[in-house]
Amino acid sequence: MTTRRFAAFALPSLLVAGSALLWAQSPTPQPPPPSATAPSPPSQPSEVTLELTRNQKAKIRLAIPQYAKAGFGAGAAAGTELETTVRRDLDFSGYFDIQGPEQLAGLSLAGDLLTDRDVYRSAGNEVLLAGDLREEDGKVVFEGRLFDLKSGQSILAKRYRGSFATARRIGHTFADEVIRYLTGAAGFALSEIAYVSERGKIKEIWLMDYDGGNPHPLTGHRSTSMSPAWNPAGDGIAYTSFVNGPPGVYLAEVASGKKRPIVASGSLNISPTFAPDGGRIAFSRSVAGNIEIFSSDTGGGNLRRLTQSGAIDTNPAWSPKGGTIAFTSSRAGNPQIYLMDEEGANQRRLTFEGSYNDGASWSPDGSEVAYATRRDGRFQIAVTNVVSQETRVITSGPGENESPTFSPDGRKIAFTSRRTGTKQIYVLDAASGANVRPLTTEGSNDMADWSRPK
Amino acid sequence: MNRKALTCLILAAAMFPLYGCPKKKPATPAQDLNVDTTTVQPTPAPAPATEVPEPVAPQVDDQVEDRLLSSDLQVVNDELRRRGFSPDVYFQYDEASLSDETRDRLSRNADLLKGAPQLVLIIEGHADERGTNEYNLALGERRANAAKDYLTSLGVADGRLRTLSYGEERPVCAETEESCWSQNRRAHMVVTGRSNG
Repeated sequence: MTTRRFAAFALPSLLVAGSALLWAQSPTPQPPPPSATAPSPPSQPSEVTLELTRNQKAKIRLAIPQYAKAGFGAGAAAGTELETTVRRDLDFSGYFDIQGPEQLAGLSLAGDLLTDRDVYRSAGNEVLLAGDLREEDGKVVFEGRLFDLKSGQSILAKRYRGSFATARRIGHTFADEVIRYLTGAAGFALSEIAYVSERGKIKEIWLMDYDGGNPHPLTGHRSTSMSPAWNPAGDGIAYTSFVNGPPGVYLAEVASGKKRPIVASGSLNISPTFAPDGGRIAFSRSVAGNIEIFSSDTGGGNLRRLTQSGAIDTNPAWSPKGGTIAFTSSRAGNPQIYLMDEEGANQRRLTFEGSYNDGASWSPDGSEVAYATRRDGRFQIAVTNVVSQETRVITSGPGENESPTFSPDGRKIAFTSRRTGTKQIYVLDAASGANVRPLTTEGSNDMADWSRPK
Repeated sequence: MNRKALTCLILAAAMFPLYGCPKKKPATPAQDLNVDTTTVQPTPAPAPATEVPEPVAPQVDDQVEDRLLSSDLQVVNDELRRRGFSPDVYFQYDEASLSDETRDRLSRNADLLKGAPQLVLIIEGHADERGTNEYNLALGERRANAAKDYLTSLGVADGRLRTLSYGEERPVCAETEESCWSQNRRAHMVVTGRSNG
């Protein structure tokens, strides 16, 4: 059992019905909404504190009636997109049981929250999300509010304005606010996924929103570029590219698109990963034909060799809290995941099941590693706890599932699968493997790397 | 791409690989959205809303790969092949070791190369599509080096041979079956130029 707590602020009883102002008007300004993790005590004396005691798995029951809309002309599509984005984000987060306009259609509502809240509650809802969308001077203006249906009080209110092109971003921003307010957890609707998209025999690094929206290329080398890795600040991506012949490690600035080599000397430098302070990378490099793991600073200087085996050592993944690097080695005869200290000491094997394990990716809290494992001749996604070594396989069936990456909150994993014939990126629940959704459909897409928690 | 941009690209590639060319338009860096947004004032006076900035497209007008082999070199490679040079040798699954047949072919290649000491080669390492792209890059590097090491052991000067792993990125055969995979598990040898020595 867990206890959720959120503060609710009293609203005076003057309620105005109507579509434009669906809810309360207050003669005095409201206090600012509480911050994410620790709701601050409001200054108003009429504070109501609500405690929701529930099962850990129980979801918050949220009603989202159709938003009130006004003034829409050219921005109608943007308005719809914003409304859809908020709904999809909240649904996808897994924290809510949502009743949308279709489920609420049968209720007889007066259009007055004081009266209607009992109707919403009788349908099983605990919280109401009310949206007000307007088009003003060629921009979309959005007001989103949460009401605690038990007390009838407004508990969160936000207002945004931007061009039509920002509709999705406004939706993501508000969805994260809602999640943060109601659960205390950081949402990840504003996170991005870097990946490889192959179109016409050319592989470039692309970026997309966490839900597959807004896909766009980051590189234009017209070559083979792969293995994107976010830096912790989220403003740079290291990747492998063949643009200058031998595969080398490069860095792209996300905002400007500027590129520069990090390590491109010698015949092979691949598979970069950032240290949590962003100051160093680890990667694999050929030493006279033997592949070993090295680290360097982000200018390619201060090169340090971390492995010394006669086998392939590759695909390093720096733990999010630092101190440990997971990697793949064939030193026991076939590829397996190993761990070592970040200076190369204390190398130990992590995986023992499956004849081929590769592509380690850490959970954000550093407790688990996800990777591709071959079981019964097929690649599946497995997750192993690095302390207990307890392992679960979260995909099944055909499709060659590989290249997993955790969401910033650790509750989802994006991965590549060929289940429809071409390689595409999907997302599922990290714990159970449930709720599989495709994120990409065009071209062939692979090697997702989810941006780090902010 | 216009001529000016192309010239710049060639110069930039020669002098400063990957540092790029002047863009047509200077790109403004995207600004982070401030999520600590203004509280809505439920009074009739409109609250100042958070302005959400326009997304900015990053520059993707990068240095591009050029991988054409000149027609002169094509003639040299064809002639070597006519004399019995094996441009490809093959490997077992997840292996970089050389079979007896592969050693025989490399031995013939070594003789031909020693007879034409001015030629320099690149040895590409390839893998089939099974397994991960990243591991296969490492495997391709091992295969290319296995072939290179054998050629140098037979007297071909080390400085004439460069390795380049493509992993599973450049398959010669695209079907999902062993007859095709076996063709992709290879070290591919191409003459790329003439040494000065």
